[in-house]
Amino acid sequence: MNQLILPILLPVLAGVLCLALGERAKGVKEALSAFVSLVCFAVGWGLLGGDTASFSAPWAGFGFEFALRATPMSAFILLAASGFALLVSVYSWAFMRDKTADLRLYYSYLLITLGFSCGAVLADNLVLLLFFWEGLLVTLYTFIILGGRQAQATALKAFLISGVADLCLLLGVAITGVLAKTMTMSAIRLPVEGLGGVAFVLMMIGATAKAGAMPFHTWIPDAAVDAPLPFMAYLPAAIEKLLGIYLLARISLDLFGLDGSMRVLLMALGAITIVLAVAMALVQTDYKRLLSYHAISQVGYMILGIGTGNPVGIAGGVFHMINHAMYKSCLFMTGGSVEHRAGTTDIAKLGGLFRNMPVTGVCFIVSAAAISGIPPFNGFFSKELVFQGCLDAGFPVFFWAAQLGAVLTLASFLKLGHAVYFGERPADKDGVRESEWPMLIPMIALAALCVLFGFGARLPLSLFIEPALAACQVFPEHALSGWHWGFAFAVSLCAIALAALNHLYGFWRTGRAKDAAEHIHHAPILHQTYELAARRVFDPYDQGLKLIRGTGLALFAADRALDFVTAVLPARAALAASGLLRKANNGLYPYYLAWALLGLVVFALFVGGNP
Amino acid sequence: MRSLFFVLLPALTAVVNPFLRRVDSRLVDVLSTVVLLAGLCAVLFFPLADGSDSLSVLMLLAVYLIAFLVSLFSVFFVQEERSRGTFFSLILVCAAGMAGVVTTRDFFTLYVFLEVVAVSSFAMIAFAGDPAGTEGALKYLFLSAVASALILLGVAGLLLATGGVSFPHLSGGIAKAGVLLAASLLACGFMIKAGLIPFHGWVPDAYESAPAPVSALLAGIVTKVAGVYALIRLGSLLGLSVPDGPYAAIGKALMFFGALSIVVGAVAAMTQHDFKRILAYSSISQVGYIVLAAGTGTPLALAGAVFHLFNHATFKVTLFLNGAAIEKATGTRDMTRLGGLGSRMPWTAGTSVVAFLSTAGIPPLSGFWSKLVIIVALWQAGSHGYAALAILSSVLTLAYFLILQRKVFFGDTVPLTRDAQEVCPGMLAPVVLAAALMILVGLYFPTVLEPFLGGDL
Repeated sequence: MNQLILPILLPVLAGVLCLALGERAKGVKEALSAFVSLVCFAVGWGLLGGDTASFSAPWAGFGFEFALRATPMSAFILLAASGFALLVSVYSWAFMRDKTADLRLYYSYLLITLGFSCGAVLADNLVLLLFFWEGLLVTLYTFIILGGRQAQATALKAFLISGVADLCLLLGVAITGVLAKTMTMSAIRLPVEGLGGVAFVLMMIGATAKAGAMPFHTWIPDAAVDAPLPFMAYLPAAIEKLLGIYLLARISLDLFGLDGSMRVLLMALGAITIVLAVAMALVQTDYKRLLSYHAISQVGYMILGIGTGNPVGIAGGVFHMINHAMYKSCLFMTGGSVEHRAGTTDIAKLGGLFRNMPVTGVCFIVSAAAISGIPPFNGFFSKELVFQGCLDAGFPVFFWAAQLGAVLTLASFLKLGHAVYFGERPADKDGVRESEWPMLIPMIALAALCVLFGFGARLPLSLFIEPALAACQVFPEHALSGWHWGFAFAVSLCAIALAALNHLYGFWRTGRAKDAAEHIHHAPILHQTYELAARRVFDPYDQGLKLIRGTGLALFAADRALDFVTAVLPARAALAASGLLRKANNGLYPYYLAWALLGLVVFALFVGGNP
Repeated sequence: MRSLFFVLLPALTAVVNPFLRRVDSRLVDVLSTVVLLAGLCAVLFFPLADGSDSLSVLMLLAVYLIAFLVSLFSVFFVQEERSRGTFFSLILVCAAGMAGVVTTRDFFTLYVFLEVVAVSSFAMIAFAGDPAGTEGALKYLFLSAVASALILLGVAGLLLATGGVSFPHLSGGIAKAGVLLAASLLACGFMIKAGLIPFHGWVPDAYESAPAPVSALLAGIVTKVAGVYALIRLGSLLGLSVPDGPYAAIGKALMFFGALSIVVGAVAAMTQHDFKRILAYSSISQVGYIVLAAGTGTPLALAGAVFHLFNHATFKVTLFLNGAAIEKATGTRDMTRLGGLGSRMPWTAGTSVVAFLSTAGIPPLSGFWSKLVIIVALWQAGSHGYAALAILSSVLTLAYFLILQRKVFFGDTVPLTRDAQEVCPGMLAPVVLAAALMILVGLYFPTVLEPFLGGDL
């Protein structure tokens, strides 16, 4: 079998197999899941070094071919996706063990998601890509449903939002296919103007929505609370980012040639996402919700990076994608670890857990530092590339927006870390112990990678990023790794200092770590905005539901009106006429005679009128 | 000669009846019914060979069929002992008159027999002796007098204008001055007899107040023969379908009044309370269909008209006889006080449903086919508007019948109907026979239609 089919077919088959396994087969599902992920990882590794492998088979006619192609970028993402699948499988072994969800379904979804993601990144035909892309919608829904009854509304919300975005993607694919007269991705190169621009925007919507950018993000915080936690560590944190940014990179660099206005659109989208999402994250009181808002915010950096259009920025965006996947996944895992042992993720009820859960705490510190862009962790390097790219592209406004985001990011993590791991511990949490080793190992691995990709940033850049970009004809002029003493660096350091000062101020002001951001929460205009956001006024889904309710009522009224005109009105008219006729036939002979004579007159008119 | 036989047989039996009653009152019933049955079989099996065309044969068949069914029903329904003989004699005389109307070959004899039918009808309507019956009979009489006057004038006019009143003399569409006036007078007279709008004043009152079997006879065959058959005969002789012919105006007028009757009859039927009045208006409506087709004048239209005439006779006799059964079982004809009879009187309900579905034109019952032929004939003749009207009026027909069915047969029983019993088999036999006929004619439609189409109308 061609090695490209393996990472697609094997996980899907294994997933189906999981469904058939009995309850008594303990550990088989987990082992199968881990093993299959390992195999895919190996395939990905093998694809990295070699030439571009490809595979093609006829499928459905009309240019819909089952065409796979392994570019360096897709091999890299394949590697990452299967790596995350492996880590989450191991993590789930301990986390999901005593949960009520049906574990056969859980592992089945995990594997099928892996298979479909590999299919999506390896696809060389737009329709095939669409097929795998849409298939992931299903596992998204079913995964969230596993969270129980209260998760059903969230699952529907996630499905609908992602579904709408995928619809845009479908339209975009259709238009692209018509414009380029082919569906093979490697053969398409279109200018972004007129209809091509429309196609680009539609596909961009599909890609960024998958990654979780605004305004398609509103399901993620809800899912953070309702869905099983490893799902969060797997899909929104890792897989969706990988796929979304992969597609965004492909369409921006490969399929279309971006020009100025589209770049500005992308950068604006990215900047807005960064700032607004992190502002929301700052005031959250639930561990998982806070992390989910950060997941949304960090996507902004990736989109911003790709939108800059210059090699530095693009490299930064792609690098940030993989970095983020790692530290966000690790952060969610620490959250899961706390939930598993302490029983809650409400910050108000937690505190001082570092002594009880040291390993979790250290992993948290490393990941939080990485996400906040503290040198020398990986986040710093990728953010720095993005900042530089903004400046090189000549848009300082986005640079400052991104920096503001960095400040708020660090502030919120200082608040979270301080409140959960340090400070006073509530009495009922005294007995909390460290989590089991299957949960610790993935966290440690990811934290280690964060450190590795930071100190040794040269490694991922030269091994993964640069070959990937080279395949898209993007070549950075100077070395990306290493320290770049410059304006951006200086500002970043100031941002870190500012965030630290802000946190100290907040802590000094209220005395509690969890309220360290309250001075921002209750600032004059921000206060009202936060109130509205808490009431979901800015949530397009919820507003859309209200609109649907109203539209439904209006349509019902129209239907009743139509029914009145066609059914009620004629009936009433007929009955009224009938009543008149009934009364007219009153039994008096003279009337009858009069009618008869009238009839004779009419008859005479008929006959006489025609010669 | 054979046609005379069909006239004389019931007439002679009618004369014999009063004498027989002195011997045994039940003998009268038996004789009357048997005679009518014999006449029916004679029509079916012994073809008339003396110049009568298939229209006459079919009408004769219808006359004897309905008269037989009514007679059979009356055997069990009529409680009257003293004037029982007279009643059956009247039925027989009426039948004789109708047989004469349909087999005669000239207009004057037609008029004479028409009067025979009318007089016997008056007597039958007022038979019960109650004020309502007498009133109904009088209204019929007064309007019928007007009709008779018009007919007589028309016949005289024909005689003056053409020198003869026999059908062979008039066939081929004679175009002479004065014939138009005479034909118009005849048409008006026949329309009053048929009960078309706006000449219908007497119909609801007469049908309602007559004794039940008499209503069945009236609605079933008397108005058809007296009014509609005569119109059809007139129409075929004049050649109404010839466009721009001298008599096309009469055709148009007939079509207008026919269409008017369909709609007004159906609409007026919707809010009636009395069982019989609904059926009376329904009759007006269905006669409208027949006259609409007759006014069109094409061979297919005339065939449709005759077919529908025959079918309608079966529908109405079924419905009226069932109405009589209900009146006997519950004591009232007021639909607002009835309900849920379907469970108590299943045979009555079943045959009613078949009759009303057939009237509304639901396949595969006979009414569907005859209506279809009429609509197709209308369309082919170019009267698209009237064809559409005919189709849409099926909805109206369904409407009033559904109201009737719902009020009387469906739903829960009310105190009045809780103890209702199904009537005796003797009274059920006629309606079951008629219903069977509807179903059979509907199913074997092609074989049935051929004689109608093939007849030399």
